[in-house]
Amino acid sequence: MSKNKFTRSLAGVAMIATVGAGLLVAAPAKATAPAVTINIWTFGDVIEPAMLRAYKVIHPEVTIALKKADLDPSMTNLTTSCSAYVQSHHLGSPPDIAAVEVSYSGYWRAYPQCFTDMRTLSTSAANANAQSLVPSSSNIASGLSANDIKNNYLAWRWAQGTGYNDSVIGIPTDVGGLEVAYRTDLFKKAGLPTDRAKVSALWPTWDKFIAVGKQYMTKVSAADKKKGVGFIDNVGTIYAASMNQGTYKYYNNNGTDAGQLVYKVQGNAPVYDPKTKAQKIDPKTKKPMFKKDWVLNPNITKAWDYTIKADNAGIGTRIGQYTSDWNVGMTKGTFATILAPAWMMDYIKGQAPTTSGKWNIASLPGGGGNQGGTQLTIPKWAAHPQEAWDFINWYLAPQQQLTVFKTYGLFPSTKVIYNDPALTGFKDPFFTNAPVGSIYLTGIQKLQPIFEGKLERAIDQAIGAGLGRVAAKKQTSLQSQIQVMIDLDKATK
Amino acid sequence: MTTSIVTRRRKPKWQRVSLTGYIVLSLVALASVFPFYWMFVVASQTTAAISSPTPVLIPGGRFFTVIKHVYEVVPFNVALLNTTIVGLTVAVAQVFFSALAGFAFAKLNFRGQKGLILFVIGTMMLPSQLGIIPLFMLVSQAGWLDTLLALIVPALVTAFGVFWMRQVVDAQVPNELLEAASIDGAGVMRIYWSIVLPIIRQSGFVLGLFSFLASWNDFLWPNLVLQTPAHFTAQVAVAQLKASYVLDYSLNLGGAFMATAPLLLLFVFVGRRLVSGVMDGAVKG
Amino acid sequence: MADIATKGRSRPKAAPSPWKQKKRKPSKGGSGVPSLNGKWAYLFIAPFVIMFLIFGLLPVLYSTNLAFYQYDPLSLSQTWVGWDNFKFVLADETFWISLGNTFEIWALSTFPQMLMAIGFAAILRSRFLRGKTFWRTILLVPNITSVIAVAIIFGQLFGRDYGMINNVIGFFGFPHIDFVENSFASHVAVAVMITWRWVGYNSLIFLASMLAIPDELYESASLDGAGAWKQFTNVTLPGLKNTITFVLIVGTIGGLQVYAEPLTLAGTQDGGSSHQLSTLTMYLYNETFINMKYGYGAAIGILITIIVLIISAINFLVTRRVASEDKR
Repeated sequence: MSKNKFTRSLAGVAMIATVGAGLLVAAPAKATAPAVTINIWTFGDVIEPAMLRAYKVIHPEVTIALKKADLDPSMTNLTTSCSAYVQSHHLGSPPDIAAVEVSYSGYWRAYPQCFTDMRTLSTSAANANAQSLVPSSSNIASGLSANDIKNNYLAWRWAQGTGYNDSVIGIPTDVGGLEVAYRTDLFKKAGLPTDRAKVSALWPTWDKFIAVGKQYMTKVSAADKKKGVGFIDNVGTIYAASMNQGTYKYYNNNGTDAGQLVYKVQGNAPVYDPKTKAQKIDPKTKKPMFKKDWVLNPNITKAWDYTIKADNAGIGTRIGQYTSDWNVGMTKGTFATILAPAWMMDYIKGQAPTTSGKWNIASLPGGGGNQGGTQLTIPKWAAHPQEAWDFINWYLAPQQQLTVFKTYGLFPSTKVIYNDPALTGFKDPFFTNAPVGSIYLTGIQKLQPIFEGKLERAIDQAIGAGLGRVAAKKQTSLQSQIQVMIDLDKATK
Repeated sequence: MTTSIVTRRRKPKWQRVSLTGYIVLSLVALASVFPFYWMFVVASQTTAAISSPTPVLIPGGRFFTVIKHVYEVVPFNVALLNTTIVGLTVAVAQVFFSALAGFAFAKLNFRGQKGLILFVIGTMMLPSQLGIIPLFMLVSQAGWLDTLLALIVPALVTAFGVFWMRQVVDAQVPNELLEAASIDGAGVMRIYWSIVLPIIRQSGFVLGLFSFLASWNDFLWPNLVLQTPAHFTAQVAVAQLKASYVLDYSLNLGGAFMATAPLLLLFVFVGRRLVSGVMDGAVKG
Repeated sequence: MADIATKGRSRPKAAPSPWKQKKRKPSKGGSGVPSLNGKWAYLFIAPFVIMFLIFGLLPVLYSTNLAFYQYDPLSLSQTWVGWDNFKFVLADETFWISLGNTFEIWALSTFPQMLMAIGFAAILRSRFLRGKTFWRTILLVPNITSVIAVAIIFGQLFGRDYGMINNVIGFFGFPHIDFVENSFASHVAVAVMITWRWVGYNSLIFLASMLAIPDELYESASLDGAGAWKQFTNVTLPGLKNTITFVLIVGTIGGLQVYAEPLTLAGTQDGGSSHQLSTLTMYLYNETFINMKYGYGAAIGILITIIVLIISAINFLVTRRVASEDKR
């Protein structure tokens, strides 16, 4: 009995063992790729946590280490690292991916030697079956270089990642866009229409926008005016919006790293009278005097004039964006309009939740607009350029940008999905169910690529300071323009 | 002996603290702590509450939610540990080396002494931002990037520390004491160890404390050389909370609160030592 | 070792006039004790000197060398320009504005603070003070609060339209003060931030020194009929001479390099629309890292160093002059 039982149990164990072993062998062997850590230097919410979690499912062997900092320290870090690389030619240092913000793109485009030219990279098969692991994801084919994905993106966003020598140094993430967020309740109180289409029809141009502002201000009580109530939060935003609506800003691409400075041209310059601090009037002819001299280029002058006109009309408050006063002002109704990029909607919701349903979105005067945006780059000294390129192709692919939009509200820069109902049909109840998706879509497709040069930020800063001086009544418009010219000459020497 | 007892008993009357004195101290204490309290209030409210037109002065109930969120974004405990390690090492090293050099400048005569101390003071006047790129390259070539060594080694000595200890030794250690010991046959090392160090111990402790603080609050340099979250220090960790283009006040101040609170706790313990140490020095003197 | 009675008697000679002692320095060089073997000094200062050279001095010297070039750290192009960078700095209006700002902020934040610190220390010194640990700990809280948090909080306090301070001002019927655009007001705001952060720290330094002043001095002064205030001016203050110089010099060096506070209040690297909040260090940072002019920035750095040197020297000489006038 025992011998029989023993033999049978032995056989049983043997069978189980065999089956078990067989199952183990037969189970599809999970490709054990070597563990890799990708270092990403970023700021803000360029890299979203939910997407990282999804990528972890696709590639458990990849750890993504984020290092966030404010924008300026982040860019200084990149400069320091590139300088170290250029001197030592030491490869394999962090980061593998660096996020570069649009306001710095002019600078980095002058230094393509800091970055890997993405036209020379080619995706591996790493994400070719991504969808089978994460159903909402798309598959990324192997063998893709920058040239292959170029047409997925808005032309002018793509241009912001192209070096002066045509090398591709960065792939675009989201696009900010720019439209006008306005307070329906305040408009109604001032006797203005509140319907989106009607409001958009009120201001096809900046001149008309200023006129609407003036009309609004006539209904503002004197007491409120004293408290600093206005129509638009800050007239300085008009300058930036107008500049982006042209075809050039401060530079032309002449094939050199520095670019050709075109912030000033020869033209009819107003003669400055130090006594009146304005244009000199000829005592004989009583006509304003001009002379042949350097002037700021027509695009700058146009944007400047709009801004000053708005300021003179008294339609702006003196609140700076992103200050604590601005946050409070949103709730209190200190201003009725904000030139808002898509990502600002969430910010408004967070700062002023009690104003839900009192906002709407109208189109921007003068055409399309943009504020913000980032490119993901791969520095030349990256330790894992291949894995970085695979990640970037996945993260910034149209499908993934759409997912980011649905989860976080950042607008995709990939034009190929612009007919997706998730975008075109997107409405926001906080903004009176405005079809925010299609509004921003219309706007961002109107923009042209603009060449940005090395000292873009410095020039913006000098002009911004000039506008600020006029708004703070420290200088007259002409006086400030003259100083801006001096400052720009100094900055670009 | 008699002299000291008599001294202690006849404490001058004005050394008592008047009501005015207490009022002044209370106001100072309030002003010192208010921003910290405000940090706590903001961290425990929603962002909307902070931007509301009526200022909020009472803490809300969200504090622990916010702190939980902070920990989700960064491994804060590890960051605090890293910061403590760096801070302690730097503090101890700075005090040790500064005391040595400070004593030498104050009490030993050697060639070039005057010039060297002036030079040391002069170097304190160079803006630190200048040396960032070459220092980074140095640290990078040494292979210390992304390690705590990059924070510790360049900070082992400081001109300020030497200057401070020199002042302290000069003011608190009388030459006659050292003369007497030297006549008694003690060597320089022995004198330093047994006489000078005990006297300057409290001031040394104060220096260590300040070094620790400076290290704790440093942001720019750690932000440059540290890469992976596991190696971050507290300030770098707090910077990770900047989750968007714009500021989530309650999250950021929650993180800042967490980066500050441990120091406060430290002081609750260290403060007592600090007081008794300083007091001891006074009585002994 | 030495008999305490002797210690008590020999003290008065050393403490009240430290300056006197300094003047008696043997001309050979050194205020030190002659009978101690000076050769040990080299060993004692060696660790400091070596590490300081490598990590402190060399990097800065390397960068200052750039002041004579037009330098691009990314393309490594270097053009010798001699003194041009310095000439441009001195001709740059922004430099002079920054200089003025830095001085005004320094004056507003150093002198009131010193007076406050000595005052607080005088109160804290009392042996009869209740809750010593508590008060002394509280004083350091500002110093441990992270700069980011301080910037956010004070930014809110100083807001022009809705900041708490302006709320109070408006409550009393006065017009709001623009703490960012108005040059003087903005300097006051920065000075408040700096004072808030450092007054406790400096109080403790003064406290430590005050406690080192021996009681015998106060005793003999009160025996001479001196009241509380006279004792303060004739015993305490002289005993603090060295510390005052020290705090003044360190405060000057730090104050002339102030950077984080004005930057956060201004919001932009250039210090505001008329550079009202630009300090020397902000100017350096802006020219170097925003305008990408590393050579120019290095020249600014050298000029800053020279300025700080001159001011510190003036501080030193003035306090020394005042001290020797006070000499008994």
